[in-house]
Amino acid sequence: MPIKAMTQEWMDAYKAAIQADPDYKSIAKDWEGSVSLVVNPEPARNVPEPIYLFMDYWHGDVGDFVVCDKEKADSAKFVMTGDYARWKQVAYKELDATKALLQGKLKMKGDLPYVVRNIKTVNKVIDILGKVDTLWPDGNK
Amino acid sequence: MAGGYAGKFLRVNLTEGSWSDFTLGDDILKMFIGGSCLAAKLFLDRYPLDADPLSPENPLMIMTGPMVGSGFPGTSRFSVCARSPQTGIWAESACGGTFGPDLKRAGYDGVVIEGRSNGPVILAIDDSGVSISDASSLWGKDIYEATDELKTRDKSAKVLVIGPAGENLARIAAIGNDKGHFSGRAGLGAVMGSKNLKAVVVRGTSAKAVKADGEGFKLAMKTAMQEIKDSALAEGLHMMGSDANMDLGMVTGDVPVKNWTSGGEFDLASNLSGPTMREKYLTKAHACTNCPIACKRVVKVDDGPFATAEGPGPEYETCAVFGTMLMNPDLTAVIKANELCNRYGMDTISCGSAIALAMELYEKGEITKDRLGGLDLSWGNMDAVLELVRQTAYREGFGDILADGAVHAARRLGGSAMDAVVHVKGLEAPMHDPRGFHGMGLAYMMSNRGACHLQHFVLATEQGMASWPQLFDMKDDYEGTTSVGKAALVYNSENYGILANSLSICHYVAYSIRPETLRDAFNAITGFGFDFADLLSTGMRDWTLKRGFNNLLGITSKDDVLPKRAMTALEEGGAAGSVPDTALLLKEYYALRALDERGFPKAEMLVRLGLDDLKSRLYQ
Ligand code: SF4
Repeated sequence: MPIKAMTQEWMDAYKAAIQADPDYKSIAKDWEGSVSLVVNPEPARNVPEPIYLFMDYWHGDVGDFVVCDKEKADSAKFVMTGDYARWKQVAYKELDATKALLQGKLKMKGDLPYVVRNIKTVNKVIDILGKVDTLWPDGNK
Repeated sequence: MAGGYAGKFLRVNLTEGSWSDFTLGDDILKMFIGGSCLAAKLFLDRYPLDADPLSPENPLMIMTGPMVGSGFPGTSRFSVCARSPQTGIWAESACGGTFGPDLKRAGYDGVVIEGRSNGPVILAIDDSGVSISDASSLWGKDIYEATDELKTRDKSAKVLVIGPAGENLARIAAIGNDKGHFSGRAGLGAVMGSKNLKAVVVRGTSAKAVKADGEGFKLAMKTAMQEIKDSALAEGLHMMGSDANMDLGMVTGDVPVKNWTSGGEFDLASNLSGPTMREKYLTKAHACTNCPIACKRVVKVDDGPFATAEGPGPEYETCAVFGTMLMNPDLTAVIKANELCNRYGMDTISCGSAIALAMELYEKGEITKDRLGGLDLSWGNMDAVLELVRQTAYREGFGDILADGAVHAARRLGGSAMDAVVHVKGLEAPMHDPRGFHGMGLAYMMSNRGACHLQHFVLATEQGMASWPQLFDMKDDYEGTTSVGKAALVYNSENYGILANSLSICHYVAYSIRPETLRDAFNAITGFGFDFADLLSTGMRDWTLKRGFNNLLGITSKDDVLPKRAMTALEEGGAAGSVPDTALLLKEYYALRALDERGFPKAEMLVRLGLDDLKSRLYQ
C-alpha cells in the first residue's frame, strides 16, 4: 500500500527501510549528523506549502525522522533545498542528487567536503528512498 | 578593429635573432577568435605541416583570446600550440596563471616563435620593446629556480619557463608559468627546448589590457560573479580543488586504478582525495589572475619521507596518475611527485602513465630490476617512482625510455607493452575512464590532440556538473555507462567547449556560469554580436580546422579508436562490466560532424564553415 509522500507515516517507513537495509550500517559508519530536506511549494503539483523533513543519522544508526517546522529544519547539520519536482526526480533516480547540487537544481547548506567524502552514504540513503512505496502528491509515474 | 584585441601579434625568429609585428584583419578574428583556433589557422596558412616537431621549422605559438585582460573571471588563459613531438599531430595546451593578461598589457595578442637560437636565450617582451638575451646561466636550472631568478631580476615579470625535461627534449616536457601553472600536454616544453628558448618573460604596464567597461560588460561581469557565488561546483572547487573528483569519481567509475586494470578502490581514493588534502596539507587556495574560484592548491608536507616545502599542490589528474594508477595510497608522495614534475617541467599525466606502464611490465617480469638500474618498481613503491621521475627528466637510465611518453616507451619495450597503454593518437588518456563514461570515450577518440578531456565540455555535461538545455538538447541526467544518445552530447559539448581555448576562458568558470552570461560578456568585449548558433558554429569551425590539420598529417578514421585496454571491461567499481559501443558512437558522431568514411570533413561542410582553403588542400 503506497504511503503519501512527505508525511510522518512516510518518514517512519523511510526510517524503517534504512534500518532494514543490510548494507546501510557499514556504508554509513562514518556519517555523523542530521540532514533536513526542504521541499519548495509547487501548488500546481499539489504541494501548496513548503515541507520540512528532518532526519538524524549517526554512525550507521538513525534517530529522529520527522516532518518538522522551518526552525528545526534549519538546525540540521546539512540543509538541502529544492523544488518538489526535483525531489521527485531524485527519488525516481531520474536526477542524481550530486549532479542536481552541482547544477544548482538543489541547494545545500553545510560542509561540502564532508558530503563528498561520504558520497557513498549519500547515494545509499537516496537509493533506499526510491524503494519506499510512495504515493506522490501529483500522482505516480 | 574588433574589441578585446591588443591589435598586433609578435613574430620572432630565433635563428636570425629578429622580430617584427604583424596584424590580422577583423574578418579573420571574427572567424577564428583567438587562442588555439587562431593558432591553427596561422599554422595552416604560414608554416609547413610536415616539419619535424623538434626542428626550427616547427613554430611555437603562444596565443591569448579577446577576453584575456578584460577582468572577466577565468580569462587569464593562453594557449601554447605547435605540432606535437609526442604525437606528431596538432598540439595545444591551455594554461591559466598570470602570463596571458600581461602579454596583452604589453601590447600583443600572441607570439609566434620560429627558428632555433644558437645558444640558450630568454625572449623578453614589454610595452617598450622586445629583446633576446643570453640564458646560459639559467640553462640546467629547474622551473622553480629559473622562475625565482627571473623574478629577482624583475619582480613584476610574468614568466614562461622550461625545466631540464624541456632542455633534454623529453617529448612529455611541459612549460611552466610562475611555478603553479602549466602547459602540460603533448610535449610543448620540448618544442621550446628545441629552440634553445629557456624562458619567455613579459611585463605589461598599460593599466588595462583591453577596453571592457561598457554597461553590457559591467552587467555580464556582475552576473557572472553572482553565478559563481551561487554555484556549488565553484564552491567545491574552491574548497577541494579539482581533486574533489577523487571520491565522487571512484563511485561512478571515473578514476583509473592500477594502470586501468581495476576499480572500486574506495579507501585508496579517500586517502588521495580533495577533502584529505584540504584537511592535512592545504595551506591556502590560490587563483589565476582575476578568478574568484581559486581552485589551485598550495600545500606543504611538514615531515616524513616526502616532506615538501610550501608550494603548488597537485590537481586531480596528478593525484590519480601518481596515486590510484600506481597503487600508491600516500598523498604526501603524490605531492612530492607533483613538485618534481613541476620543477623538471614534465606533464604529470604522461609521466605518471609511463611509470604505470613500467610498473605493470615489472610485475609481469617483462622489465627486470637490472634494466631499471636496481630500482624495485613494485606497485606503490614511491621511492622508486620519484627516482624514475628524475631519471625521466634527465633522460638517464631507464628514464630515457619513459621520457617520450608511454606510447614511445611501449614501442621500444615491445612485448605486451602496447596493450597496456591507454592512449589515442599517441597521447595518454587523462584520468577519466571511458568505460565509466562512454561519451568521454568518444571524446577521446575524436579530440584533435589525442585523448583529451580539455578540448570539449564532455566532462561537465556527461558527469552532470553543468546542464545547458538552452544551448542544445540535453537531458537532466546522463547515465555514464551507456553509449546511447552520447554522440550528440559529445558533438554539442565539443562545439561549445572548444571555444574555451579560443576565447581563452577557464573550463571551471565556464561550467559555473550560464552560457548567456558568457555570450553577453564576449559580445560586450568584442562587439561581434554572436548568438548561441554563431558561437556553436565557431566551435564547429575550430574543431574542423584542427581535424583537417591532422588529416593533412595522415590522420584518418583508422586512428579514431579506443585501445584494447580501454575496451576491456573491469570486474569491479562503478564501470564494472561496461565498455563503450564505439561502433554506435562513431557512426552517429561521423554523421553529425559530416565526416566521410576516411574521417575527412566533407567538402560541403568545409565550405559551409568558410574553410575553403582547407578544402582545396584536402581535396586537391
Ligand atoms: S577555476 Fe582554477 S584554473 Fe580556472 S581560472 Fe580559476 S583558479 Fe584558474
